[in-house]
Amino acid sequence: MSVTTSIVLLCGLILVIDETAWIRTAWTADLRTPSAPETQPLLLPQEPKPPSRPPLPVRPVTPDSTTVEDLLLEKGSITMDDWIRIKAEEEYRLADREKRIDVLERWKNKTEQLPILTDKINIGLNALQFLYTHNDAHVAEGKSQDNFSIRRSEFIMWGKVSEHLPRWHVLFEFQSISLSRETPAVVSGAGATGQPASATFFRESYIDYRPVLAWAPNLNFIRMGIFRMPFGIFTETSGGLRDVISSPYLTSVGSGNGNSTGAAGTIDFLQERDLFIDVRGRIANRVEYVAGIMNNNNFQANATGANAPKSVYSRLRFLVTDVSWVSATVIAGESNNANTNINGRGKGAFDRIGLDFRYTSKLIPGFMVQGEWWQGHDGANQTTVGRGANGACLNTSICGGSGAPGVQRRTWYVLAKYLITDGYFRNWEPVVMYEQFDPNTAISNDLYTRTIVGLTYYFENMPPKIQSKLQINYEFRHHQGNGPGNAVDSTPGVGDPFAQNTFLVQWQIRYM
Amino acid sequence: MPRIGSAFVIALGLAFTGCSHPALFSKDVLRSVDENFDLTAWRSAPNASAGHTIKVGGKLVQADLMERGTLIVGMQLPIVEHPAYGPTEMGKRSDSFEFALLYSGKIDPGALSPGNRFIAVGLIQRTKVVEVDGAPKTEPYLLARCIHIWRTEGREIADFPNVGGGYYPLEEDTYCTKEP
Repeated sequence: MSVTTSIVLLCGLILVIDETAWIRTAWTADLRTPSAPETQPLLLPQEPKPPSRPPLPVRPVTPDSTTVEDLLLEKGSITMDDWIRIKAEEEYRLADREKRIDVLERWKNKTEQLPILTDKINIGLNALQFLYTHNDAHVAEGKSQDNFSIRRSEFIMWGKVSEHLPRWHVLFEFQSISLSRETPAVVSGAGATGQPASATFFRESYIDYRPVLAWAPNLNFIRMGIFRMPFGIFTETSGGLRDVISSPYLTSVGSGNGNSTGAAGTIDFLQERDLFIDVRGRIANRVEYVAGIMNNNNFQANATGANAPKSVYSRLRFLVTDVSWVSATVIAGESNNANTNINGRGKGAFDRIGLDFRYTSKLIPGFMVQGEWWQGHDGANQTTVGRGANGACLNTSICGGSGAPGVQRRTWYVLAKYLITDGYFRNWEPVVMYEQFDPNTAISNDLYTRTIVGLTYYFENMPPKIQSKLQINYEFRHHQGNGPGNAVDSTPGVGDPFAQNTFLVQWQIRYM
Repeated sequence: MPRIGSAFVIALGLAFTGCSHPALFSKDVLRSVDENFDLTAWRSAPNASAGHTIKVGGKLVQADLMERGTLIVGMQLPIVEHPAYGPTEMGKRSDSFEFALLYSGKIDPGALSPGNRFIAVGLIQRTKVVEVDGAPKTEPYLLARCIHIWRTEGREIADFPNVGGGYYPLEEDTYCTKEP
């Protein structure tokens, strides 16, 4: 045996004795203080200590927690080398597991910052509606009185960037890509026909800006863009949350061309959307206000006539309870009948005043009744989209349009519903609505009336986010005429669609 | 001039009332509340805080109807004044904690959806083992006298009424019992 070999063996012997002595010391110490476990893990040299995770406690070597390898070592079944190897493998596995957990945590932290998980970007289905309609009105050859259609196919995206930019919002109407004609400004010649304009795909787009957090909710935010206007209740209710299938006459009523009474043709009394900027807030938790300025040219102004004459609007809503209220709205400004997409407004001074209420019962859960009353003046020379119009001229042979003077219009409706929440008819909701529209309050024989009776079944009803339902409506429609001496033909299958009863069935999915 | 003066006074009154948050609970209920109570102390030593009457805000995690009332497990959240009064998840928070509360009265089941925000007033009890997602957990425990619930279903209170592509009012209710 060489000197070198002797030295190596001696060193090995010293190391083994030293290791055994260390283990015996640990045993002794643990026996003396069995409740004091070691807190530092034994890590392999090649595995750096993870900085972000607290060290896991190593199982103390006590009689209660003796491992199999400890027992085997104690009984002499394995050598100290085997014991060290087993422990090293165990530590290696532990370190490897911790490393994997660290990797997962890093990914978790990254994932949690994704815009889709931080409310910065959300996506949803505002409403997908399949509609069947039967109306006995006259239809052109080759068309049917029974119609299948997609009423709405709306995707919605929204998000919150910060407390100062609490919401951005866009809504795409995928089935509304057809063109509509803007009102032409000339009667004859090349410009006599309104040019086609498509602006309905991006149906809503707006940004909310909250200037000072401490001012909210008294001055909550400033909203700018295109959105449902804060005019009463129905106009501001999402299409996916409406209780009856048809829109009320206050948004649109009538068909055909206008006449000199101002009572004929399509009349868009209140636009649902527009380009606007307004300020909104809540005072004393009981009064909500909105005040703003808009183009007064409907949302199709997105593509045409964006710089239309402006109107100001304001609404005060008094919250009697958290879900019941009374409110008043005022709109005033100017309307224009040339190069716009909006119907029947004429040119000149324009105003609307409205009152609305909603009572949501807490005594009878599921019962709700609401109503709106609106009145307002249009400018002179109302016309319908696609017909020539230019200024306030009343001589249709010179300036086109209907030639009607500015008129005062009035409309109101009351709607009641009751959602059955228990028993055999759970999730069924009967609804009834009655409405009137008077196109010209100064003349007779022009009244539109409608009674809607409906039944809704909710597959899912978690408003405002989720509402999947089947709606069945029957509408009793009546139209007196287009002014004195202008009777409408109410013969089924022939006449005015607003004088014919209508049956509608609609399936809807809303999920966001 | 008198009209302008009256309008000014009304506007000033509205502004001042607008600055104060809504009174969710009666003065009688709030009288015994320890306004300076440190909720982090409740978190760190839940049994040592027993006997204190506190007001705590949170987000509903789960609710179970029991014989003694409604057992709610909630995630504690700070109560803010702006942009809307109530519990909020605004900003990053690491000191939120889970707790349980028992309300001995009846609560409309529709108000117990996960994600709803609430403010409760009640008496701290010793910790209780409750089942959360099927697993038993020892939670700080409150015996609630009153609870106010906003049916936000996961959204912020300030998001209402402008949610879901239109106007939708936020439903909220206060429930109180005489005996805590």
